[in-house]
Amino acid sequence: MKQLLKKEFRLAMHPTNYLFLLLSAMLVIPNYPYYVIFFYTALGLFFLCLNARETHDIPYTMVLPVRKRELVKARILFAVAIELSQFVVAIPFAILRQNLNIPGNQVGMDANLALFGLSLLMMGLFNLTFFPVFYGNPNQVGKAFIGGSTVVFFYIVVAEAMDHAVPFFRDQLDTPDPQFFMPKLFIVIGGAIGFALCNMLAYKLSAARFEKLDL
Amino acid sequence: MDLLSVQGLCKQYEQFSLQDVSFTVRPGEIMGFIGRNGAGKTTTLKSLLNFVHPDCGEISFFGLPFAQNEQAIKQRIGFVSGGVDYYILKKLRTIADVTRAFYPTWDETVYRHFLQTFQLNDQKTPSQLSAGMKVKFNLALALSHHAELLILDEPTSGLDPVSRDDLLDVFLALAREGVSILFSTHITSDLDRCADRITYIRHGKILASDDMTAFVGAYRALELTEDQLTQAVREKVIGLKPAKHGYTAIAYADDAERLGLPVKPADLETIMVHVEKEDIV
Repeated sequence: MKQLLKKEFRLAMHPTNYLFLLLSAMLVIPNYPYYVIFFYTALGLFFLCLNARETHDIPYTMVLPVRKRELVKARILFAVAIELSQFVVAIPFAILRQNLNIPGNQVGMDANLALFGLSLLMMGLFNLTFFPVFYGNPNQVGKAFIGGSTVVFFYIVVAEAMDHAVPFFRDQLDTPDPQFFMPKLFIVIGGAIGFALCNMLAYKLSAARFEKLDL
Repeated sequence: MDLLSVQGLCKQYEQFSLQDVSFTVRPGEIMGFIGRNGAGKTTTLKSLLNFVHPDCGEISFFGLPFAQNEQAIKQRIGFVSGGVDYYILKKLRTIADVTRAFYPTWDETVYRHFLQTFQLNDQKTPSQLSAGMKVKFNLALALSHHAELLILDEPTSGLDPVSRDDLLDVFLALAREGVSILFSTHITSDLDRCADRITYIRHGKILASDDMTAFVGAYRALELTEDQLTQAVREKVIGLKPAKHGYTAIAYADDAERLGLPVKPADLETIMVHVEKEDIV
């Protein structure tokens, strides 16, 4: 697995994967639907898989001494690493945003712990939609992305709508940290658990579909 | 022990099927795998490495079933499907760095030797290589982990005659060193030069899998005039077709002798061209 991850990093990684990590800086924009920032990473994963298709990554890797399902595991682990990297890169910008002494985000959720928890779940759902479709037929990476981004789009719409309409979201989650710290912490923990479960399921489904695929 | 044993392989597609494909590759031999485009060569080779799932049949390498020993078997074989067509904008050095990490048996001295022998500059990218050099780089990667069996899927297609000849020299040298080669191609003249045995696939079925000398020795080539083309001759020849001056065909060696006509030894191309003309299985 270590070798496959090295291959992902040295051969498969697309330049946009680095670039989109830097878009975490958009958290300092005073008013913006911050969930969209994490969607850029999903876009980067689409480019990663599109690039892999165009560079014949799968035929190359299939010849190496690895089992077919290990290709899938390595790719999903790599995607998880990129997504978690973005959360790490985003933390300083979220702290900076909270210390800018400007009003909270008027568009939707503030750059706070709850945003991170809910975004983790959102990225988990993206992976759960994107990868099983992609590994069902890697030539249809566009179809996989349409599925994944549709899920993310509706997730953002619902999450931001709840931010305005649901009192718990509006009054407790959409507040500067460390206010209502415990509810937000539960959201982060729940988001992390959801993210992990989604990725495990994404791997199971993707590996099963890829095993059946004739290349 | 056979290095590769394929028994009863079958795969059903909507418009094509592999049926009961069986053959073996023995240690130190070059096995030519021939058939026209679409005959099932690539599907067979892809089935060997789990790219394609056969509906039935057994595949074993070095006496080990592939399904349960995929990783261990892949350590001992090299698969070269034409030239390097992956990561064409990455440097050869980077590709080799990544590839070597997968093989505990990787021999850097051997890799350097082949880079030098093939005159490959590892600072270049695959996109900067000629078709022949792309194949050679793939071969260098396969040989640097001491592959005991090379599976080559049409490695000489699209190469100029000199590059093809260079590669055949390499294959012969490898075979002399004990490396076995399963060499799929529709360029039969390449196999005339180097194959020890031939497996011939037609419409997804194995027509013959035999020693090269026995295989070509079983046929004779005939050049016939209109006058020589009697009914008795027509009944015995295979793949009768018009030529510039009269007709050409092949016949089984015994039949050709009985016909009492001038015959020539048949080469692989002559056999294949005429067999493909004939509606026989």
